[in-house]
Amino acid sequence: MENNLLSLSRLVIGYDKPLSEPITLKVGPGEIVAVLGSSGIGKTTLLRTIANLVMPLSGTAKTHVDRVGGLGYIPQNLGLVRHGTVAHNVALGAGVRMKWSFSMYAERRERVLEALSAVGMEHKASEPVRRLSGGQKRRVATARTLAQRPKLILADEFLSELDDTNATAVMDAVFPLLMDGSSLIMVEHNEEHALKYATRIWELRDGCFNDLSAEAWKERRKGGDEP
Amino acid sequence: MKLRLFVIIGALSLFALSLLSELAGGDWGRFGGGLSNLVVFFTESMWPPDWSVLEARSYPVCQARLEITCSIGYIGMVETLKIAFVSTILGFLGAILLSPLAARNLQSVWVSIPVRVLLSAVRSLPSLIWAILFVIVIGFGPLSGVLAMTFYTIGYLGKLQYETFEGMNNGPIEAGRAMGLSSTAITTNIVIPENSNHLLSQLIFMFEYNVRHGTVIGIVGAGGIGYHINNYLKFLQYDKVFALLILIFVVVIVIDLISFFARSFVNEQGDVRRPTWLNLLLKGNVEKKAGKAAK
Repeated sequence: MENNLLSLSRLVIGYDKPLSEPITLKVGPGEIVAVLGSSGIGKTTLLRTIANLVMPLSGTAKTHVDRVGGLGYIPQNLGLVRHGTVAHNVALGAGVRMKWSFSMYAERRERVLEALSAVGMEHKASEPVRRLSGGQKRRVATARTLAQRPKLILADEFLSELDDTNATAVMDAVFPLLMDGSSLIMVEHNEEHALKYATRIWELRDGCFNDLSAEAWKERRKGGDEP
Repeated sequence: MKLRLFVIIGALSLFALSLLSELAGGDWGRFGGGLSNLVVFFTESMWPPDWSVLEARSYPVCQARLEITCSIGYIGMVETLKIAFVSTILGFLGAILLSPLAARNLQSVWVSIPVRVLLSAVRSLPSLIWAILFVIVIGFGPLSGVLAMTFYTIGYLGKLQYETFEGMNNGPIEAGRAMGLSSTAITTNIVIPENSNHLLSQLIFMFEYNVRHGTVIGIVGAGGIGYHINNYLKFLQYDKVFALLILIFVVVIVIDLISFFARSFVNEQGDVRRPTWLNLLLKGNVEKKAGKAAK
């Protein structure tokens, strides 16, 4: 039984031309990985490749989670159904692994409310998503993932547009999942946010890929090395 | 950029004009003569409209309280509306089952291409030809009209729908796919709700189209107001035809207002201020009053 949740083997990402050198690594349970790098360097492409939405140029990206509901993905534009209500969106995550039964609806409703209260959005449950602010939408996307309870969460800038208080509240909501053995890989532009929560940093720069622990990254910054 | 756009539009316009000239055989004088013919035809044969089409028919004797309900205009229009409603709903159901299978962002080419070919085949026959086919198969009457317009609606609406699905933002689909939702769940829970505004607009447009087209298919005996228009045309009673055309025009305007109102439930405009029947019909007055109040 594979203990890791993700293994990349000589993975080269990109659309037409390679955006990185071959990447080989593993991600275990409970890890929080922040992917850093300048705009257009390939952070989102890396996440999409792991989510199996983009074919790698070479190598493999294997997730060792259930095919249905094991992977949670929050895209950069959040991927919410704008004309659906907040509850409808969160129910998509809540119901993905549920088998049909008469009790399913009550169970799903309970899980939706639980996820919404974790991000402080339960009072907006029946509101259409299109009426929400950017920050509120981010919290709904997070609630959808919480309700899904995936083993591996891929989040593309899900803390951006949130102030420190709200970012902390969202991360606090995600932590119970991580304590349960899930892992989070998040693309972040805000380095402060990334360093506050991440246990591991992946840096993409000029086609090179660095995999460092958060401590090592901080040491490099203290030492005056440009990370 | 602007210059290039003007050049492209100018070149296309010139090309269209040259084709028109070729089609008219270079005889541009026909356009001038045609206009005066139209004026004579309109003033002498069509004007004024003969509103007797809204009076009760002499036979069978009218038993209803409102005499208008026994008139040819009313009976024909109601039958056309019934044909259009049934065929639009049946056609919509057929199209919504097929169009997600034809959308390239939802299905592989092995599924989408054959379904597209099927929809193109259904659409390539105009509703008039479908009507003739069904009149041959099951005989004269509204049922032929319903079947003809249902088939045409499936082809036409199916294309509009799969193009809408293909043009949608891919984010929600990708999120659903990554989390492991099935194709059916993605279609029913993500794609259809996300495009509800467009789907509703297309549905009402199709209903309006079917009402207007009910006049054409009626001509080949498929029922509705077109049947009566055809009868009046045969006896050269163009003033009665004109009255029925005005009736169709009014119904189309009403459908347009309903469309505007219905779509306000699923778009941002409706979130700000949902239209009421009063401000739809008296928009100018309401705005003037609001302006005065502000002063």
